[in-house]
Amino acid sequence: MQMDNTGKIEVMIQCSHVEKTFFTRMTSTPVIRDLDLKVRKNEFVVLFGPGQCGKTTVLNVMAGLETATSGTVTVNGKEVSTPGPDRGFVYQTTALFPWYTVMQNVEYGPRARGMSKKERREKAQYYIDLVGLQGFEDKFPNQLSGGMQQRVGIARAYCNEPSVLFMDEPFGHLDAQTRYLMQEEIIRIWEKEKRTVVFVTNNIEEAVYLADRVVVLTNCPTSVKKEYQIDLPRPRNYTDDRFLELRTEIQSIVDKTL
Amino acid sequence: MEKNSDLKFKVISCCSVIGFIAVWYLCTDILQLTTDITLPGPVKVLHTFIDKFTNKSPDGGTLLQHMWSSLRVALSGYAMGIIIGVPLGILMAWYRPVDLLARPVFDFVKAIPGLAWAPLLIILLGIGFMSKAVTIFVAALTPCVLNAYAGVKQTREVHMWVARTFGATRRQMLFKVAIPTALPHIMTGIRVALGSAWMSIVAAELIASSSGLGYMIQQCRGIYRPDVIIVGMLMIGFIGSVLTWIIGIIERAVVKGQTHDA
Amino acid sequence: MMRKILKNEWTVKIGSAVIALAAFCMLWQAVTVFTGMGDFLPGPAETFAEFFRRFVKPYGKAVLPMHMWSSLRRILIGYTVASAVAIVLGIVMGTYRIADAIVMPLFNIIRPIPPVAWIPLAILWFGIGDASKYFLVFLATFLSVLQNAYAGARSADPVLVGAARMLGANDGFIFRTITLPCAVPYIFSGLQNGLTAAWGQVVASEMIRSSAGVGWIIIRGMDNNDILQELVGILTIGIIGFILAASMRGVEAKLCRWTTRGK
Repeated sequence: MQMDNTGKIEVMIQCSHVEKTFFTRMTSTPVIRDLDLKVRKNEFVVLFGPGQCGKTTVLNVMAGLETATSGTVTVNGKEVSTPGPDRGFVYQTTALFPWYTVMQNVEYGPRARGMSKKERREKAQYYIDLVGLQGFEDKFPNQLSGGMQQRVGIARAYCNEPSVLFMDEPFGHLDAQTRYLMQEEIIRIWEKEKRTVVFVTNNIEEAVYLADRVVVLTNCPTSVKKEYQIDLPRPRNYTDDRFLELRTEIQSIVDKTL
Repeated sequence: MEKNSDLKFKVISCCSVIGFIAVWYLCTDILQLTTDITLPGPVKVLHTFIDKFTNKSPDGGTLLQHMWSSLRVALSGYAMGIIIGVPLGILMAWYRPVDLLARPVFDFVKAIPGLAWAPLLIILLGIGFMSKAVTIFVAALTPCVLNAYAGVKQTREVHMWVARTFGATRRQMLFKVAIPTALPHIMTGIRVALGSAWMSIVAAELIASSSGLGYMIQQCRGIYRPDVIIVGMLMIGFIGSVLTWIIGIIERAVVKGQTHDA
Repeated sequence: MMRKILKNEWTVKIGSAVIALAAFCMLWQAVTVFTGMGDFLPGPAETFAEFFRRFVKPYGKAVLPMHMWSSLRRILIGYTVASAVAIVLGIVMGTYRIADAIVMPLFNIIRPIPPVAWIPLAILWFGIGDASKYFLVFLATFLSVLQNAYAGARSADPVLVGAARMLGANDGFIFRTITLPCAVPYIFSGLQNGLTAAWGQVVASEMIRSSAGVGWIIIRGMDNNDILQELVGILTIGIIGFILAASMRGVEAKLCRWTTRGK
């Protein structure tokens, strides 16, 4: 557990009484109901929930891409209302800029904040190497495979050196083999460059494999149902007894939906 | 809140149109910056418009007579263009030898504006219904062919395989798979062809004709009657919009559930 | 491997194009030689010979290349100015709703009027010289480029805009790095449609009133009942139109590498 000098637990993200309702002309759909959540510094938290339960909305609200109807979200002590570079986001479908090369995509954040070309190139190169894409700097995204595109997405988010990373089912569209590989990779990268990560998935194995803590969400309108500390040592094994036990336990409490 | 801002922008749009007409009125009728032989005021144009429904002068026909004359030629040529163009496009896409031989010729022909054929056709067929109708036909043909061609070409392989697995003959595959797939594209072609047919009839009437809206505005240029020209232009635009609207309804009825980006 | 297949594909395409055009010409030649149509319809050999002869022997006051130049100058000036204005205006309209609300209704009144219908009014306003042609070409180009630039500026993917914001980009930076690149393919398709429209417009306006240009050639051919002149004129119009369209595609392929490359 991460503590600061005074020995207190350092809270990185705090959601208190967050509510989110979508309004259309005739209807209102509550999506998040009274959600409370604390994430510690450098913790890897996985939000896990059934089908369309609003996980992505929770993430978008935390990131500032959507505003909460009521309640507050603070990141690093500051209240979140708009998107900002202190938070990084890795998307479900790769939201890479198709007209930029890998290098230009990764250096986008530093460039937007006005960093000199030499400096940002250096920084981008470091993260491109970190995700294992050296040699692909000048390729366009549509020339890369799905797994490689997600690596670019991760490098791009990292390159801005945010204190928090949000990942919205980043491996959802990958095939099973690539997915396992990327799960190992994301842990390797995270252990090398520690960040606070909030990771959304609907895959229970992925949740148990990656997380320090799994937060199970209820069905829509969503709130926290139960939390599990995953105390398994890394690297984890999908067939380990304790792993399977946790998997079964979490599976048993998840709301069933179509 | 969203509703309020929508309303606000609608009001701005209305003000914009009213403002435009006001400026026009101010420049012409009030300040007399222009004369009646360059730009008449909106009141004069409106007056001419109403008058033109019954008045045959100065060009020998009422507005409705000219309209009917243009529509008759345009729609006959247009119908011929569709009847010949769509099947031709499908054939080109379906049979590779036809594709390889007809496509280069078409690539060249499509670079020639339909209108450029008009003088040749007038020499061959004389001034009259036929030469104009054939000009429209040529103008409408190209978009029909090219879109039907593109539509059939993009038939998904997997649909073909499904059809083949169920034992479809090649003929059945064409009529049950390829053509239905191509329908949205074909309809796009038919819509584009309408625009080009309508433009060509106006142009053909400008060049050589004795009736029609194009003839009307061309005649009135010679005798400095811009009020009639403006009435004619607005009428041409209006009929074009109505025709496009009708085609749009047909298109939506035919292309149920298939989306396609033009 | 891939490159080899591609090369073969090209060989087949170019080969078949040559064969197709040759076959077309032979059919045409055969029709003129063996049927009664030859009495009034010149064959391809005669047409091509005449085409080249006209490089030195003038039509009216000028030789064929000079007529081409007259038409090209009109299109280049009108088209360039109109494209620039339309792209800027279209993007402004797509970005600021207030501009959209002001200009769109006026544009919607003008848009359904085919550009050729402006010819009589343009002649009244600007006379029969080049000024009216520039105006007409401007109009034809403007109408089609504006629509596309507008659609393009509104096409920016909200997910990409969100991603850029997440990375710390401000509005100006997002406009330069997201909105504009998203609009580029739309703008190009507008530029292509605009070029086709502008070319048709030049030919039409020259046919109706002018003293030089390819449109003038065919209309004078009609007045003189000269079918050979018609065919040379149409051939010239086709060649120039083809070159214009092809060069536009070339520029697009260069500038929109990310959409075509690697496919």
